Amino acid sequence: MSKVHTLYRQYRLDRRFILLSLTPILLLFLVFSVVPIVWGIMLGFYQYSALYQESPFIWLDNYKNLFQDEVFTQSFWNTVKFVGFAFPVNIVLTLLIALGINKVRSAIWRNTLRTMFFLPTIAPLSGSAIIWSTMYKNDGGLFNLTLERLGLDAVPWLSDPSMAMWSVVLMTLWADIGFNIVIFMAGLDSIPVQFYEAARLDGASRFVVFWKMTLPLLQRTTLFVTVMTLISYFQMFPQFQVMTNGEPQNSTNVLALNIYTNAFQYNSMGYASAMATVLLLIIMIITLVQIRLGRSKWEY
Amino acid sequence: MKQWKNIRLWLVACFLVTMVVSGCSRASSGSGSGDAKVTLVWWTHDNPSFVEANKKRIEEYKKIKPNVTINYQYFPYDAFIQKAKAAYAGNNAPDIAQLFGTWVTDYAKNGHLDQAPNQEDLKQNFFEAALGAYTVDDKIYGIPQEYNLENGGVLAHPQMFKDKGITYPPKTYAELIDAAKQLTVRDGNKIKVKGFDFVSGDNIFFTFLSFILQQNADYWTSDGHVNLTGPEAVTAMTKLKELITVDKVTDLSRFGDNLDSSDYFFKGSSAMTIRGPWTIASGVNTYKVNDFEYIPMPSLTDSPPYFAAESGWGEVVAAKSKHKEEAWAFVNYMNQKEQALDFNVTTFTVPARKDAAEDPAYLQKLPMLKTSIDVLQYGKWVGPVQDRDFFVKSVNDNFQLIASDKMSVEDGLKKIEQSVNEMIDKHLSVGNKSS
Repeated sequence: MSKVHTLYRQYRLDRRFILLSLTPILLLFLVFSVVPIVWGIMLGFYQYSALYQESPFIWLDNYKNLFQDEVFTQSFWNTVKFVGFAFPVNIVLTLLIALGINKVRSAIWRNTLRTMFFLPTIAPLSGSAIIWSTMYKNDGGLFNLTLERLGLDAVPWLSDPSMAMWSVVLMTLWADIGFNIVIFMAGLDSIPVQFYEAARLDGASRFVVFWKMTLPLLQRTTLFVTVMTLISYFQMFPQFQVMTNGEPQNSTNVLALNIYTNAFQYNSMGYASAMATVLLLIIMIITLVQIRLGRSKWEY
Repeated sequence: MKQWKNIRLWLVACFLVTMVVSGCSRASSGSGSGDAKVTLVWWTHDNPSFVEANKKRIEEYKKIKPNVTINYQYFPYDAFIQKAKAAYAGNNAPDIAQLFGTWVTDYAKNGHLDQAPNQEDLKQNFFEAALGAYTVDDKIYGIPQEYNLENGGVLAHPQMFKDKGITYPPKTYAELIDAAKQLTVRDGNKIKVKGFDFVSGDNIFFTFLSFILQQNADYWTSDGHVNLTGPEAVTAMTKLKELITVDKVTDLSRFGDNLDSSDYFFKGSSAMTIRGPWTIASGVNTYKVNDFEYIPMPSLTDSPPYFAAESGWGEVVAAKSKHKEEAWAFVNYMNQKEQALDFNVTTFTVPARKDAAEDPAYLQKLPMLKTSIDVLQYGKWVGPVQDRDFFVKSVNDNFQLIASDKMSVEDGLKKIEQSVNEMIDKHLSVGNKSS
């Protein structure tokens, strides 16, 4: 009886310890993640503005209006265009660069290259966006001055509707690839060297080694990188706000910027919340599909 | 015992929350009556010339009312907009705030602002267009410091006219366009110097509305909605489009750029630019140029050069302020003729007070503002636009599509009218809580 009592006491102490250890992080998660998400979803059913003393419950009207709102439709397709191009380019580019740096034998050079690519990631995105805006200037911008020196026509980088999105994509890739390179390099480093030695002894070509060995063994790293990159690209905001503010002709007006404009410029917090809920659903569905497809059941 | 422990914990938690809340609060202090010491919190944006003028008023007021301390805080424009919204929404607003007129309507109709004490005086002494957005249900909720106008005048480089042998200044709209064509300098397919630029966030909108007014038409319906599909609106939008597609005196290349169209003018990239007189301060103080003039913008028709004007910057007092009386006393002091005149001279703004605008001292100090003073009589308040930014963006978005031949003038105007009226309906559907 006494042993049972001691075990029960130990069990209660363990439970209390777990509860005490987890309470702070669960509270933080609850206050800063769960409550704002639930609050945001609820606001989508109201005509809510912080300044108004009345916030009528309008059920699904905000959602109905969304699908008749041309600016929302355009911002949705702009987001798809941005993610659809920048995301695969980012993944392919960062993987190739990581592979390249990984092949460098000198540790100093490898670290130098890794640091060089990582440097832009340290800078705040909005700060980088301001610098790139000056480089993209039509008159006197670095890029156009260079083109003119080479005898080529100046390019309206940010003022031409067909050009502006690609200019922002270029800046985003410059600012963002360092992080994924470092993650991919860590993933490559964790693949045991013996596998490569065995493949070399079996006479596998470089392409076969990459395709049949490196890529599958990087699956977990790739899953992390793709999920995180996709989520952050769907939510991209600072460079769009700083460099173009959605112009010209709304060609760079992405969902995150449209949500911001409606919430803080037009005071339509309810409508913006409905948009944010749609964005949340899109990201959630795509992330779940990614996790499902990228699931791996091996260990080494 | 356990219950007592819980109560103690709650008491400690409540105490901490109270401490934090009171620490974050910016509420003013003092008893609020007579000559007792009072601290008033005053928020404005951080335009240097506005800050300079405001600080002068505080120093003067200290001498008149030594018991009143003004805690003056100014913020960058974008931050100020958000901070003001958060403060009023959270019932933690400053006693006094310098708000842009067009924002005031929303604050006032939702009960955040106090009614100005001297309603009849204001109606008599201030321009109607300047008071427009401060007025809800015929009650005035603040005192404008300036008459904000974006139209009526044009920044012009006389030397460019002289170099081309063109009569200066252009007296009619046809003369202005003819001069603009000659003054436009091209480099291949691109425009190097624009003959007449109106492509900026504010000026597409205001020029469009002014062109409607100059055809003796109106864009408001009797039920507070907009009518932008009438023949006059079509003519107005067509004329704007033609400046880009037919006359080719400007283009869309700098729309949304970080620099303002007036900045490009002061850098010599346009011969004429339609912009409000407040931009003169930037030319004189920032660019240090004096090779430009501010000339009258001719009317599109034979009618006078009517234009739509917003209510500009002015002072409001929070409905929840504990020191409304002291706050209004300070606001009234700032808006006496001498003080108002000094504010306008320092900030290169047009007086909202009629007697200040008519005072010869004003034009003696700011002769370049004569153009604006002369056209004040033709200014009409832009109207109850509800969400000004939405209205402006809707016009700008569709104008860009129209000017790029991606949409017809008629379809573009229909879209503007529909989206703006939907926005107005949304705003009108929430209750009016003005006190």
